[in-house]
Amino acid sequence: MVKAVDKINVTVRRGEIYAFLGLNGAGKTTTIRALLGMIRPSEGNVIVLDQALGQDGSGPWAKVGHLVESPSAYPELTVRENLDIARRLHRIRNPKVVNEIMEHLSIALYADRKAGTLSTGNLQRLGLARALLHEPELVILDEPANGLDPAGVVEIREMLTSLAHERGMTVFMSSHILSEVDLLATRIGIIHKGKMIEELDANKLEQLRSSRLEIKTRDNKLAYEVLTRAGYSIKIDGMKLITYEQRALEAPDNIATVLVSAGIAPTHLAVEHENLEDYFLRLTGENQ
Amino acid sequence: MNNFIAAFWAEVLKARRSKVPFFTALGFSIVPLVGGLFMIILKDPEAAKSMGLISAKAQLTAGTAEWSTLFNMLAQATAVGGAIIFAIVTAWVFGREFSDRTAKELLALPTSREAIVAAKFVLIALWTFALTVLILILGLIVGNNVDIPGWSMGLLQTSIVDILGSAVLTITLLPFVALIASAGRGYMPAFGWMIFTVVLAQIAVITGWGDWFPWSVPALFSGAVGPRAEMLGTHSYVIVLLASLIGLSATFIWWRKADHTK
Repeated sequence: MVKAVDKINVTVRRGEIYAFLGLNGAGKTTTIRALLGMIRPSEGNVIVLDQALGQDGSGPWAKVGHLVESPSAYPELTVRENLDIARRLHRIRNPKVVNEIMEHLSIALYADRKAGTLSTGNLQRLGLARALLHEPELVILDEPANGLDPAGVVEIREMLTSLAHERGMTVFMSSHILSEVDLLATRIGIIHKGKMIEELDANKLEQLRSSRLEIKTRDNKLAYEVLTRAGYSIKIDGMKLITYEQRALEAPDNIATVLVSAGIAPTHLAVEHENLEDYFLRLTGENQ
Repeated sequence: MNNFIAAFWAEVLKARRSKVPFFTALGFSIVPLVGGLFMIILKDPEAAKSMGLISAKAQLTAGTAEWSTLFNMLAQATAVGGAIIFAIVTAWVFGREFSDRTAKELLALPTSREAIVAAKFVLIALWTFALTVLILILGLIVGNNVDIPGWSMGLLQTSIVDILGSAVLTITLLPFVALIASAGRGYMPAFGWMIFTVVLAQIAVITGWGDWFPWSVPALFSGAVGPRAEMLGTHSYVIVLLASLIGLSATFIWWRKADHTK
């Protein structure tokens, strides 16, 4: 039996924005579908908001919003009608919530347009509107930034951050857009080939990311010799020299002094931090 | 109950905004219109030939131009045409959720999956029943305009039983179409199933086992082959009911238990 995901244990604290990172096919959507009771695990159980999901797919769904995979809507129904269906199925009596959420997600302009004519980005907004319509405690989003233009990405990021901070909404989102996760998440889980390989707080990631000093000169070979003689551990990486040594990272000016004294002033001297992408690839071994 | 009302409201809105109700009504309306055409031809075949309505080679064996013939045609068309048109309605109501990839929006909701499936079934029953009433009314209008003989209130009553009875039996067998559209995640498997049962129903009737084969029963009830009393027994209705209950239960169980990956 092929297991799409195995022994995944995710703990998300209230008010947290938890990003679930993984390459395509890593098991993100499978995990999300299991969290929503759409598929049942062959072993173990799923507990969402302290409630175990039933065999019949029952769960605390009045308090959960979701957007799974690509957004979808009834194409011949307008944006408003699609949201009205969601409102009724969520058992919300107040019809005004539809207008409010459309305003919030900047789709009020398209309220009376058929969903089948929407652009991918606006369809994504409609999907997000449906997920957030009932002001859930927990929102589970599969690739929420998909299809959005750069302005839309920023808008959604700000909205999710404010919902988490101001209303205490918990956000569980999957993504493979690492820069997005880097800016948004307070906690990160990394899934690879169906297994959780790392789970950490976003601020801890800062510490785990390695830093390096990059040096460029007009004569890298000579600079290498000079710095090695001065006791630095240096590597040549293409057109530049690299060192991970702590004393070099803390005082790059000393490196500059050594090089200038030897008559090869640096043309570039910068401390570079490993980004989430590099860290992710290092962890999953996908850059090998 | 509130669960069901919310789900039913949603189903009705989806159907109202779609063109499928219009096209199924249009398709099914052909039945009384063709019936009316046949009545015109049967009233005076020679005139019909001279008008070019039928070819000189035509051999019409539909009977004589009278109300009982028209009602028979309506009942048979309800059983046979209904098996196709009603199956299209069912395949659409269930299959569209997969073709439009909206099924996943119906699963993790405070409104239960059972309520949603029940709402779909109730909509299908009302929709297909309305189609039957539509062709009955159109048939009455057409028959009245063509001015055929043989009208009586007694005939109307028995014909209503024939037509609506054929429709109810056909509708009772629709849950399997819903099951196949759900488990097959789209329209096409359901259409395949519809063709399969229509063909098998013919074979069952030809081989003399029609009264034991649920999908043959509506056509036999309509009098397509011969008098109903000779063709069907209590067992035939029991079998239709059993097939219906199995289809209904299996559809509900599928929506509750299956892995929803699409």
